[in-house]
Amino acid sequence: MDFDESLPRRQFVKAAVAAGGASALSACLGRAPRAGEPVPTGVSDISNLPQRQHAWNDRVRVDADGNVHLPRHQTFLYLTVDADGPPEDDARGTVEAALRTLDRAYERSNEGLVYSLAYAPSYFDRFEATLPDSVDLPEPRRLSGFENPTFDTQDALLHLASDRGDVVLEAEEAMFGDRSEANGVAVEAKLGDALTVDDRRTGFIGAGMPAERQAQAGEPISGIPDSLPVPEQSPLFMGFEAGFAGNQATEDYVTIPEGPFAGGTTKHVANLRQRLGDWYDEQSFAERVMEMFSPSHAEQGLVEGVGDNLGADSGIDAVLDPETIQQSISDHGRVGHAQKAARANRDADGNVRILRRHVESTDDDVASLHFPSLQRRLSTFEEVRAAMNGDDLTDNPAIRQRVNNGILEYIFVQNRGNFLVPPRRHRALPTPRPA
Amino acid sequence: MHRRRLLTLLAGAGTVGLAGCNRPQTAGTSTDDGTGSPPPSTPTGSGDGGVYVQSFVERMGRLGTATAGPYRVALLYTVPHQFWTVTNAQRSLVPRGGGDGYRVHLMATVWDPETGIAIPETGLSLELERDGALVSEEVIYPMLSQRMGVHYGGNFTFPADGDYRALIDVGALSIRRTGAFRGRFGDPATAEIPFRFTARDRERIGTRESPGAGDPGAVAPMDTAFPLGRAPDVEAMPGTHLGTARSGDAVFEAVRLTDPPAGVDGPGPYLSVSARTPYNRFVLPAMSLSASAGSFDGDLVRTLDPDLGYHYGAAIPELTEADRLRLAVTMPPQIGRHEGYERAFLTMPPMELSI
Ligand code: HEM
Repeated sequence: MDFDESLPRRQFVKAAVAAGGASALSACLGRAPRAGEPVPTGVSDISNLPQRQHAWNDRVRVDADGNVHLPRHQTFLYLTVDADGPPEDDARGTVEAALRTLDRAYERSNEGLVYSLAYAPSYFDRFEATLPDSVDLPEPRRLSGFENPTFDTQDALLHLASDRGDVVLEAEEAMFGDRSEANGVAVEAKLGDALTVDDRRTGFIGAGMPAERQAQAGEPISGIPDSLPVPEQSPLFMGFEAGFAGNQATEDYVTIPEGPFAGGTTKHVANLRQRLGDWYDEQSFAERVMEMFSPSHAEQGLVEGVGDNLGADSGIDAVLDPETIQQSISDHGRVGHAQKAARANRDADGNVRILRRHVESTDDDVASLHFPSLQRRLSTFEEVRAAMNGDDLTDNPAIRQRVNNGILEYIFVQNRGNFLVPPRRHRALPTPRPA
Repeated sequence: MHRRRLLTLLAGAGTVGLAGCNRPQTAGTSTDDGTGSPPPSTPTGSGDGGVYVQSFVERMGRLGTATAGPYRVALLYTVPHQFWTVTNAQRSLVPRGGGDGYRVHLMATVWDPETGIAIPETGLSLELERDGALVSEEVIYPMLSQRMGVHYGGNFTFPADGDYRALIDVGALSIRRTGAFRGRFGDPATAEIPFRFTARDRERIGTRESPGAGDPGAVAPMDTAFPLGRAPDVEAMPGTHLGTARSGDAVFEAVRLTDPPAGVDGPGPYLSVSARTPYNRFVLPAMSLSASAGSFDGDLVRTLDPDLGYHYGAAIPELTEADRLRLAVTMPPQIGRHEGYERAFLTMPPMELSI
């Protein structure tokens, strides 16, 4: 395969991750910014790894404010089990052996590989037994009055993440391709021997990456206006930082506390197309702040640039009360995305309920967002999304179903899927009631 | 599938003519020539004023009609338009826009085929594909035009002639529905309209000057096979007509029903206020309207009813005894406006009727 050598390196790696495959990998191995630098290896005794597959926060970069920075390159592999009915013990053994290969090959970190393997409700339907009450995992469903998504009902989702594009590619090739070594470790078993990739999606996140990728060969990708407006320093296409420590649930909080899957969590993954012409071309910075955070944030000038200055917390808790929201609507005819959504994102003690881990994507040359969210109970996500819809605020005609209503005008849900991320001990094709 | 395309891209980036890439190509015509020329800019008053005759009369073409759940949806096109969106009492101009390709104003109308009532206020988005590749997807705003009545519209670019598919997502209604409309329109629905766009379609549209431009008045609505969102004639409205009030050049018809329509809690009588444009009688949706009569003082609720149409209503037991009805617009109609409507219905003084 003939990869264009003139592409800037980082863009090249992103393009290679998006393309995938053995040739992308070999091209990437030669070109990646740190290709040639060794990748830290993993562990031979997996009991050194946490039970929680979702324990990523203390294994990735954290900034001075305590905000977690997700690995820059990510791949989402939607998988189906190769046979009908409950999987056989053989397949279970293959999956466990394959995952142990990954564990041995790569340090569980942003320098190596962080990953999780999660299972959909439709996977558990293969069994006669049902999931215990301690697991709340409905089938994916429509979560607003204006969406018509495709539901991802594949059996499983493998989510790979690393700061090194060559690592996510190599891990994928080791699990589903021809590669016989992963970071120098012999591949003893492949996930591909028990599971088939039905869909492959890629993502990236990090300051500067969206601006670099908003255009390809000078032409904006779909969803980005000709003005190529995405700020240089932004980690997201929409121009702001997200995921401040104070606005995220802790991993402890989203962990299922009891039952056979104690130590696991539930994961919702949406894909949202972004259409940012009007977002950037018709709105001022202050209006974008109003719609993303809250009108009060704009009035008080709380957000500078991409929002670095917010530190460890967006400060949204100060503007969640109904009076403030009504006042903002009368003064500005708008309500903020974070403001609406956060209303349902606190428990009685003020703890944040969901852990968002979203990343950007240019799959199919369309600007989009892969939106994984972790929570103890899947329905908590549904409640937060309902609050984000702001239906209750449309009594005031300035707030319409999708206009002046946070960022709903600019995002279009394409897919939704729900998954259980089991604890490590049940990560290989679990039954609904593992011992 | 996209894997292969990206590989092509990787291989070809840096050279001209990205093979396999879905970027718009320049069409043979641009918005600057031929019959597709945009209407002339009219100076628009900065202050509030009345409805005036728009400066041009546009010809439109139809791209198709489809059923979506309980709705019928029609998709039309005409020359690109400038229009105004309204947030609270603030108006902002949306330009015709430009770019490579053929620029059009796309208009969707949505109605209930059983009653012919147009749905004037819901979330609506339009996705355009050409030869299977995404061209655009936008939330398009409800708006008011003298020719097209109450519709959802926005300016789009067709990158080239060819085969298109429009997917129109009609959002679940969030306003109150009464009578036989109870329990209806509660789910979103998608209309799919495939169409081919060629030179002939470009020739079909255009504008001519309208006599009397700028004078108080309005050009006549299009003669269409589908509803334009007209409010009923007073004579055709059920109940007792209490009177007609005017504010901000809008016309308000108030009627009293002995009993509220099914779906409204509370004892009768029921006050229904239908707000409409002068001249063409188009429904004026999405305002905040309050009423006081006798000891009653409260908000009227935006409601869609098969007999009353789109109206603002409340059960007001005091209504029978009261001899005065006061109406106050606390937020003007949050609907986009085409030329001729942008100065009206913004500053709306309180009204009083003897009843
Ligand atoms: C393109 C899509 C999106 C972008 C660019 C985006 C961006 C942001 C930003 C910048 C914030 C404020 C900073 C922060 O607290 O992280 C925020 C807050 C939030 N977002 Fe999003 N978001 C998107 C979609 C979603 C979706 C689909 C949900 C689903 C429910 C969601 C849920 C939330 C919640 C709950 C908060 C408030 C956090 C809190 O409780 O304080 N966001 N988002």
